[in-house]
Amino acid sequence: MTTCAPVRLALMAAAIGIVWGVALPAVQRMAVVKRHVAAMELREVNPAAMVYTELDRLPVRPKWVEDRVTLWPYFWP
Amino acid sequence: MADDGLSLRRCGLHEDVVATVIGLAIVALALAVTWSARPADSPGSRETWPKGWPTPLSQTIDKPQTWSDSPLAAFRDKKANLLAVPIVLGGAWVVAVAVAGAALGGRSVGSMLPGSIALAVLAGMAYLLAAQKVIHFYNLEYPLWALMLGILIGNVVGMPVWLERSLAGEFLIKTGLVVFGAEVLFSRLLELGLPGLLTSWVVTPIVLVTTYWCGVHLLKIPSKSLCMVVSADMSVCGVSAAIATGAACRAKKEELSLAIGLSLFFTVIMMVAMPPLISWLGLDPIVGGAWIGGTIDATGAVVAAGESLGKEAGEVAATVKMIQNSMIGIIAFAVAVYWAGWVERAEGPREGGLLAEAWRRFPRFILGFVAASIACSWLFSSSPEGALWVDGTTTGFTSRLRGWLFCAGFVCMGLQTNFRELAPFLASGRPLALYVGGQLLNLALSLAMASLTFGWLFRKAVEP
Repeated sequence: MTTCAPVRLALMAAAIGIVWGVALPAVQRMAVVKRHVAAMELREVNPAAMVYTELDRLPVRPKWVEDRVTLWPYFWP
Repeated sequence: MADDGLSLRRCGLHEDVVATVIGLAIVALALAVTWSARPADSPGSRETWPKGWPTPLSQTIDKPQTWSDSPLAAFRDKKANLLAVPIVLGGAWVVAVAVAGAALGGRSVGSMLPGSIALAVLAGMAYLLAAQKVIHFYNLEYPLWALMLGILIGNVVGMPVWLERSLAGEFLIKTGLVVFGAEVLFSRLLELGLPGLLTSWVVTPIVLVTTYWCGVHLLKIPSKSLCMVVSADMSVCGVSAAIATGAACRAKKEELSLAIGLSLFFTVIMMVAMPPLISWLGLDPIVGGAWIGGTIDATGAVVAAGESLGKEAGEVAATVKMIQNSMIGIIAFAVAVYWAGWVERAEGPREGGLLAEAWRRFPRFILGFVAASIACSWLFSSSPEGALWVDGTTTGFTSRLRGWLFCAGFVCMGLQTNFRELAPFLASGRPLALYVGGQLLNLALSLAMASLTFGWLFRKAVEP
């Protein structure tokens, strides 16, 4: 590390602190963002899930699908 | 990912073998612990255990929760229980895996330890940044912040020598992939019958191969591995597919970073834009849900977009995406075989026949990934109890550990990424063109197939 590295590290930490501590909470108070966040929380959706195992509810085939779609047609072995 | 000079192969086992051994041991341990604590009451009831059997190992690992104004809120769950201990233990798991890898790989454990601890702390910070509610609910996943932290420290601040010496990002990602195998269940493929299979399994490979071919031959992108990673993350399921195929085709860190950045950027746009588009087109919820599930990269964004169209669309979208998730193992295996047998063989010196050379170059940890997937798929489909056993183990422990390992691996990748090497790719705009072109093809083919299968061919004439 060079001698300036601690200063650069402090500046980087400050920038992250300002964005996450001030800017993002301000963005969250905007009406459109507030509505989106509230809707997601109400539906208990985890939009950041990378794979289905991270979802709050594991996806299972809904029963109503079988009433509306033929899942396995007669010609399928 | 491309091997660097920090491979574990010095005097111990090869890095791929170590990752496979540790990954499979973790999956076996997790299954054993979950089995030992299996519930006595109605062990086969999905209604009682919707996310599978509870596992005691879930107490040993967690990640920061969503927060708005104060990051301290990230250390408490929805019921205000303190989560500091399991979060710290999550980082400790990363250190334990890195240390075990060093020991089996013949590296000095003492020299690995400080770097591993620093890596675990940075991974925790990346999780904390990703848990801010605006970031979280707009699906800007933790890999982005892990990469950003690493790139900032590596390129702006400068990496200390002690940290540089002990980085084992590729090993952590490979181990995470083997553990991830437990979540990739072939048994899930049949959830939506033939229409689901056609929507996921016909369109996805066509889009993947076409996009890759266009990247190499039409756009003439010099790096084939970049074309493959961008094509896979766009056509299969985003970041997780990018990680698996990137490892299978030994993509460079810069290429994987770029592909993940593109995927996350377009996922946010599509998550917001597709529901109103589907409403405007007046599509049936099943067709709309299947279209969303087949095109939006990330699972969470698929559910978010589907649910905003209604419960029915949300359920279909999530199920189609889950079917696509289960393709990762086969795609990664196919890419590894193709890369080892054709791409690298054509570019490098030839020693022996096709099979011998393909085996020599084959990334062995992919076999661990496939083995975990096959074993857990068999267990899952063997009985209702087996399904709850696997679900409980994966949702309660292995998915969380895999997340921590990937997160630490991404920090490492960011630290080792040279921003200057990313600049030519960004300046040319060709990866962006590849992603956009491929996604347009994906949108068109997925809509056509979803309409054909769910909307016409297999639709029952009389609805209730």
